Amino acid sequence: MIQEIIAFAILGIAVGFLVKKFFWKSKKKKDCGDGNCGCS
Amino acid sequence: MSVQNINVALIGNPNTGKTSVFNQLTGLNQQVGNYPGITVEKKMGFCKLPHNIKANILDLPGTYSLNASSMDESVVIELLLNKNDKLYPDVAVVVTDVENLKRNLLIYTQIKDLQIPTILVINMSDRMERKGISLDIPLLEEKLKTKIALVSSRKGLGIEELKELIVSYKTIPHEPCLNASVIDEEYFKKLQHAFPNQLLYKLWLVITQDVNFSNLDRNEIRSTFTKSHSELKRLQQKETIKRYQFINDVLKEGLKVDASMAKDIRAKLDRVLTHKVWGYAIFFAILFLIFQSIFSWSTIPMDFIDSTFASLSAWTAAELPSGILTDLLSQGIIPGIGGVIIFIPQIAFLFLFISILEESGYMSRVVFLMDKIMRKFGLSGKSVVPLISGTACAIPAIMATRNIENWKERLITILVTPFTTCSARLPVYAIIISLVIPSTRVFGILNLQGLTLMFLYVLGFGTAILSAYILNKVLKLESKTYFVVEMPSYKMPLFKNVGINVVEKTKAFIVGAGKIILAISVILWFLASYGPGKDFNEAETIVKERFADKTLTEIQFENEVASQKLENSYIGLMGRAIEPAIEPLGYDWKIGIALISSFAAREVFVGTLATIYSVGDTDNESTIKSKMQAEIRPETGQKVFNFATGVSLLLFYAFAMQCASTLAITKKETNSWKWPAMQLVLMSGLAYFTALIAYQLLK
Amino acid sequence: MQNTIHTLKKGEKAIIKDFDIDLVPLKLLEMGCLPGSLVELIQIAPFGDPLYLDINGSHVAIRIETAREIEVELIQNNL
Repeated sequence: MIQEIIAFAILGIAVGFLVKKFFWKSKKKKDCGDGNCGCS
Repeated sequence: MSVQNINVALIGNPNTGKTSVFNQLTGLNQQVGNYPGITVEKKMGFCKLPHNIKANILDLPGTYSLNASSMDESVVIELLLNKNDKLYPDVAVVVTDVENLKRNLLIYTQIKDLQIPTILVINMSDRMERKGISLDIPLLEEKLKTKIALVSSRKGLGIEELKELIVSYKTIPHEPCLNASVIDEEYFKKLQHAFPNQLLYKLWLVITQDVNFSNLDRNEIRSTFTKSHSELKRLQQKETIKRYQFINDVLKEGLKVDASMAKDIRAKLDRVLTHKVWGYAIFFAILFLIFQSIFSWSTIPMDFIDSTFASLSAWTAAELPSGILTDLLSQGIIPGIGGVIIFIPQIAFLFLFISILEESGYMSRVVFLMDKIMRKFGLSGKSVVPLISGTACAIPAIMATRNIENWKERLITILVTPFTTCSARLPVYAIIISLVIPSTRVFGILNLQGLTLMFLYVLGFGTAILSAYILNKVLKLESKTYFVVEMPSYKMPLFKNVGINVVEKTKAFIVGAGKIILAISVILWFLASYGPGKDFNEAETIVKERFADKTLTEIQFENEVASQKLENSYIGLMGRAIEPAIEPLGYDWKIGIALISSFAAREVFVGTLATIYSVGDTDNESTIKSKMQAEIRPETGQKVFNFATGVSLLLFYAFAMQCASTLAITKKETNSWKWPAMQLVLMSGLAYFTALIAYQLLK
Repeated sequence: MQNTIHTLKKGEKAIIKDFDIDLVPLKLLEMGCLPGSLVELIQIAPFGDPLYLDINGSHVAIRIETAREIEVELIQNNL
């Protein structure tokens, strides 16, 4: 049970992170200066 | 006594050792801009000074003057004009090279005119004796109205004195050292009259420069004090001459050069390195060394990392209590992290080479050598730097195009840079090559796998150059071609600078890309472990029914259940939906999933396959490679990763625009959606068709 | 014929006389390319372009089309 809670919490964090990265970033005008720009 | 914070800005021409001074002051207490490659972003560092003062040190991009001709230079001006900026310096430190003092002092006189307390650092003092240079420091201090620190950032000399000067910045005079308004007194008098509360030189900068100036409405100033473009340029020329006259006068007394000393090694080295035969031979030999070493030297640590993470997964699965979190860890997160860590050796090697080439001054010679050739393809000699650093990452490479003066050449460079083989493609290439290309030797020494990789790099460059040629013909843009490159003196690369550069950039790269890869692996694992409907949820019953007439061992049964589940999981359904489109390229739906997730970042490919193949895998011990090797097409019983599919995949990854971050940076640098859209459509189209043709011919 | 940087031979030195301000980038001026400055042609790149110059101690490379705009007066080299 506790395993499930933690696992889904991690899933939530992962989804939240990606959404923030790819959809909110475009609104932020300032260039990403704090080292979290995806670079590939 | 409480800690006092002050802002210090490091300013100076390129190639003055400014970054070395920065490294000496801050050590590893740095927050380097997120992008690998050439320094263009703001770099911040911290330094504890005597008397409980903590300095926030800002390393500004190198600039020859306060006349901005590129975005990097605008950064400097905008900061210096905006007193409300959080980072507005309490004291400016202008770094100069003792051998180029005259030219380096130009920007110093401009900063002085802004009435910011300014310390002058004369760097490379260790070379003075060899060059027969002697300085009259007290006289220079008096004439230039400042304090001077004689520093050798290479040897670490004079840094403590510099720190002392920074601490006592309040004692440094504010007044300018020459009066710029004499170039057109009438005009400047009127200007000052209209804006009595503003600094005259500031107003002049606002008029001449394309920069934001918060305190004043620029249009307001411009409308009343308009001058034609060429008039302004003439005045700027006058200003430059004026400043040089002043500097010449000062240096006539303060600087003595004994010309009898021998010519330096620069001339000798230049004769070889820019020679019409040797120059190119050396350049290509260096490139060859870089690529060969990236592939052969880094395989050892990479194999080690790969197997370490495989055993870590197995250990986690065995030791932790079974449950969904353990599965997530051993099949999602650990392989995901492993897929990032495995990058480190190759990226570090690449940055190591690039920063040595930059530091030594060799890169400018390459620019010089390649300009004429590159221009035939619509590029500039300066495009060589982006194209080479594109082998690390297209993002810093595209940012490094900023110093190409000609807009058309710059645009074409931006558009074709993503064709160069960036390090994100490397893991994909590495794993596919090792699966489908035999590891035999040709001509005794050359490894066939290494040659294939080399070929892919050449293919990337070739396509970049060829598309530049086409773009040059197609794009109708006229712009004046300006080309000015400084040829710095040769320097032995400093271990500390190179080391910091490699560490910081590798870290930024791994952390930046790593977070995305990790997040995607987690999501993929969930998508692969859950599914809708009874095909997924009743997999065991279905398998039991299907094999009712056969007896399966327990392991066989578990494997059948796992593949039934995977095929009907969310990700399986998505993969099978796109299968018709990618089937002609020789890919199955699992590769299809990896392709889709690659559009966030290419290197996700390997991690994705690792996750997909790990889900339900009863044997966690095997490495990604052996898992891929074992994949069989159920219909035909052939290996999934055969030669035809492998080549098709290699070509697809060579050409496809699969990097959301690169599209974003292209948008930012070109200020239009048109160009990134073009990159996406043309590159991916090219990728699809070449992969299609290759597979159909080879299968 | 008017001498320009373009007409210099390798190793020749000259004094910059004049140039059309609109055809020469400001950046070059900032690096010390001003009337009265001493200029030496150090090296010509393979294929004849660009030119590697020493202008008053600043080492820079420029393209021929810019070099053609900068008038110079040759210094007779007795060495």
